[in-house]
Amino acid sequence: MSIKTETMTLNMGPQHPSTHGVFRLLVEVDGETITKAEPVMGYLHRGSEKLAENFLYTQFIPYTDRLDYLNAMTNNYVYCAAIEKLLEWEIPERADYLRVIVMELNRIASHLVWWGTYLLDIGALSPFLYAFRDRDICLDLLNEISGARMTFNYIRIGGVKWDAPEGWVDKVKEKVKELRENIAEYDTLVTGNEIFQARTIGVGKLTKEQVINWGISGPLARASGVNIDIRKEEPYSIYDRFDFNIPTREEGDVFARYKVRIAEMYESLKIIEQACEQIDEGEIIHKKGARIMMIKPPAGEAYTRAEASKGEIGVYAVSNGKNKPYRIKLRRPSFVNVSILQDLLIGENIQNLVAIFGSLDIVLGEVDA
Amino acid sequence: MDLLYMVLFAVVVLLGLLGGVTYAILFERKVIGWMQIRNGPNRHGPWGLFQTIADVLKLLMKEDIIPAAADRKIFVLAPILAFAPSFTVFAVLSWSDTLYAADLNIGVLYFLGVSSMTMLGVLMGGWSSNNKYSLLGSIRGVAQMVSYEIPLVLSVLGVVILSGTMNLRGIVQYQDDIGMWFIIPQFLGFVIYLISAIAELNRSPFDLPEAESELVSGYHTEYSGFRYAFFMLAEYTYAIAISAFATTLFLGGWLGPAFLPGIVWFILKMCIFMFIWFWLRATLPRARVDHLMQFGWKVLIPLALLNIVITAVIKVWMGW
Amino acid sequence: MFRLLKGFGVTLNYFRKKKITIQYPDEKVVMPERFRGIHRFFPDKCIVCNMCVNICPTDVITLTGKKHPENPKKKIIDTYNIDFQGCILCDLCTEVCPTDAIVMTARYDNLSSYTRSEHFKDIEWLSNNHVYGNYEESGPVPEMGERGERK
Repeated sequence: MSIKTETMTLNMGPQHPSTHGVFRLLVEVDGETITKAEPVMGYLHRGSEKLAENFLYTQFIPYTDRLDYLNAMTNNYVYCAAIEKLLEWEIPERADYLRVIVMELNRIASHLVWWGTYLLDIGALSPFLYAFRDRDICLDLLNEISGARMTFNYIRIGGVKWDAPEGWVDKVKEKVKELRENIAEYDTLVTGNEIFQARTIGVGKLTKEQVINWGISGPLARASGVNIDIRKEEPYSIYDRFDFNIPTREEGDVFARYKVRIAEMYESLKIIEQACEQIDEGEIIHKKGARIMMIKPPAGEAYTRAEASKGEIGVYAVSNGKNKPYRIKLRRPSFVNVSILQDLLIGENIQNLVAIFGSLDIVLGEVDA
Repeated sequence: MDLLYMVLFAVVVLLGLLGGVTYAILFERKVIGWMQIRNGPNRHGPWGLFQTIADVLKLLMKEDIIPAAADRKIFVLAPILAFAPSFTVFAVLSWSDTLYAADLNIGVLYFLGVSSMTMLGVLMGGWSSNNKYSLLGSIRGVAQMVSYEIPLVLSVLGVVILSGTMNLRGIVQYQDDIGMWFIIPQFLGFVIYLISAIAELNRSPFDLPEAESELVSGYHTEYSGFRYAFFMLAEYTYAIAISAFATTLFLGGWLGPAFLPGIVWFILKMCIFMFIWFWLRATLPRARVDHLMQFGWKVLIPLALLNIVITAVIKVWMGW
Repeated sequence: MFRLLKGFGVTLNYFRKKKITIQYPDEKVVMPERFRGIHRFFPDKCIVCNMCVNICPTDVITLTGKKHPENPKKKIIDTYNIDFQGCILCDLCTEVCPTDAIVMTARYDNLSSYTRSEHFKDIEWLSNNHVYGNYEESGPVPEMGERGERK
């Protein structure tokens, strides 16, 4: 006698603790095995690209903060860089250094959030609080220089908004040491943990081909052996002046992504240290950049890309010579990376779903724009 | 007269238990808070002493929601069925030399048998809620509790073999006689007991049935108000019962230097177990279902069997 | 094999360490001077140039001016409102203000209320929002002609 069984449609989200925001996953489960997964997004859609068309060039900067709100500095930067490309402006050196320092600090903060929430998804409670303590170190530094803890609105077209306050650079140097020690502690607490390894090693494997075919970037790609990092590939800003490595791993599983991100934090610390050594006094903004209402790039188009904590973020800006952009297109890494989910989840169980989904490190503000 | 005494004792134990659970929850939140560089609850009363009382009052005042699609009778019955067995097992526990309810000569068997009924509450709660997450949670829970019941029983057997009695008081007295707590000759059994007890209690790292980040609290997702409180009460009562049981079996129950009364020793030893569970929760990530099952069947059960064999050999050869 | 036991050491170590919680209503985070908190407005400095209204990405600033009683060429501020339901505290208004009439204070916690309408703050509330911040407490109104300059 055979028993008739049915699959069950499980609606994960938009209100679910491990979707990290308003994201919905329609999964079909056979017992606990997933047979079909369909991501549903758009709950946080604000039409950022369309909004940009009605804004002055500078007015859109606060909106880039709200895409990937965990890594707002890079978003600020990549948008400003696109407009600078249109304007063909030279950026003062000090501004570039400040940009690099804040971007890397922000990358660490973003990876720390990922680390904490990922462990929370996996079921460990304490790492979240340790990570947020360390993230606060980064955010306090960024708060001092930019006046906000998350939506910085710090980078301006042609430079940065404010010079570093007195003693800030030395403070950063100090905090870098503290962060390095704290991150080392994570290894003791989590990386070696057998339960954690059992849950992550070999889970959610992404092959090199998949990475390339789906256009996946960032730590996800580097964990699958695709050595691509825009900071090395096409050094923007002043990244060619620093000595740092691009951590890559071949396995492509969740554990590899974890290791890549941890290693990236160390590399970011290295960059910050070097930048703090090299930074000089000087101008912080292009002489025309200070007049933020008067920015009017000549007609043309430009694409810039940068390595955000989630992957390659790109801005394609079209100008028709007016004081408002004709079109802004945003390449959001989270959006591209999340699309792999429908392939990656087949055959996994619900617990692995959470582990894999968390390892993608998406931010819904960026997925939905 | 006997009946009156029994009822009175039960009421006293129940009241003590309510207080115990209240402060076990506070203890847990404090311990986990401190491990997470936080302060834990500290708003209600000095040192947060009234925090749980406030929480319970809030739960009691909440609207009693029964989902429209739920199986009403079972839904109502489930929390009670979860709580009742975890409370009933306190009958055979002996708090001190003189303080006990029933001197049952099959105490161990009674404890294990009755406590395994708790899973019915879990199953019924998850099933009747008519919620997919709850269903998954309860099925996971039952599978896990059934599997870990076996190593739990087997690990206890070592103690029973050594002491030659199933009477919980008898076991403590035996430890008194040989002048040694069973944790020393039965260390393997103790470790197995500890691990399978965590799985029995659905506590982290084996808290799969209520995995917050996956199943949105699992089998009690749909419960609110005092029914939810009942589930929580059952969980902590069971935690206290299991640690009391472990104290009796492995740490010599109420035995201890005479400057403190036996019951104080008993509670102190229980606190050690509670602390270990909270410590685990603060440290470890959640295990995966299939790993958990494999670990139970392929590691714990063979080890527990080995423990029984070794214990039997020691018992016969050494003549303990 | 038992590397997970090391983790217990870490958590136990934190068990005895000093806690870092800030007990919010009793003690508050001291925000740096640049913190972009809730605005403050200096009516005597305002020259009714409308720059802040134009730059505001969320269109939450509304203002009206009236003629200066002595010098008819100049204007003085009459009403000035910020609707904090929509304000994203981006700081662009203070950045464009030629006279530093609208500034941001380091205050972050005096906006909570039970109704939406209370988020609509008028000139009086904004002038009295007296906290430290990245601005001069008082001083002469800067000369005209700095229009459009960074502050």
